[in-house]
Amino acid sequence: MNKIKIAPSTKSGSSHWLMQRFSAIALIPLTIWLTLSFVEILQDPQGYLPVFFAYPFNAVMGILLITTSLYHGSLGMRVIIEDYITNSFKIYFYIMLVNFTSILTAVASVIAILRLHLLS
Amino acid sequence: MIKKKKEQTGLKSNRPTSPHIQIYRWNISSLTSIFHRLSGVALYFSVILIAWFIVFYSTKINVGETETCDCLMMTVMRSIFTLAAIAITFSLYYHFCNGIRHLFWDMGKGFDLKIANRNAIIVIISALALTIISISSVVYLKLF
Repeated sequence: MNKIKIAPSTKSGSSHWLMQRFSAIALIPLTIWLTLSFVEILQDPQGYLPVFFAYPFNAVMGILLITTSLYHGSLGMRVIIEDYITNSFKIYFYIMLVNFTSILTAVASVIAILRLHLLS
Repeated sequence: MIKKKKEQTGLKSNRPTSPHIQIYRWNISSLTSIFHRLSGVALYFSVILIAWFIVFYSTKINVGETETCDCLMMTVMRSIFTLAAIAITFSLYYHFCNGIRHLFWDMGKGFDLKIANRNAIIVIISALALTIISISSVVYLKLF
């Protein structure tokens, strides 16, 4: 009789689920801010876009939006990778790739927004 | 068959994957669920692209300057970017609306089949309406 093998619990599934919901709730006001700021930008793109991040509120909301959406996205991509890829090595490889890309992008964009905030 | 596949992929465990989309008959609940995932992936990549655009935008010394070019490649790229922007806009609104529906599901509300299907139609229609409003306002502001 074959023994049924069950993958060992990593004890981190519930926090993954919970953090995905928390970041989703946090993204609701941030998305509304993005839409409203697009309305502002579109009235005068050439004049407003260069100084957009000079306003502290915009810089704060921009940094929060990019980091939160990348966090939410990396959690979501992890679920998709775990669902559709069977090879366990590939699963870990792609999850690592997604995490590294997200962290790299988040750090780079935070520094870029700070630079735009301070220079413009 | 399984053994052959095992050899091809070299996997150690023989655990099942989640059922793929081509097995099921199309209906509104599966359509919204699949498109939620698809739009999520699209938004993830577009957020990365936009973030790197901000990074490259910030490295320009004269931030206000814009380059103009009349070459063919620029026109092609611009139309591709316009199409991508419309797709991203729809994906964002759709993921936003359907995400709120998912949050209500997590609270244990709206599981009744009729209400779930009605909410799915509301989500699709509101996402389409928001997209049309956004694009038409952009076109309106550019024209006048």
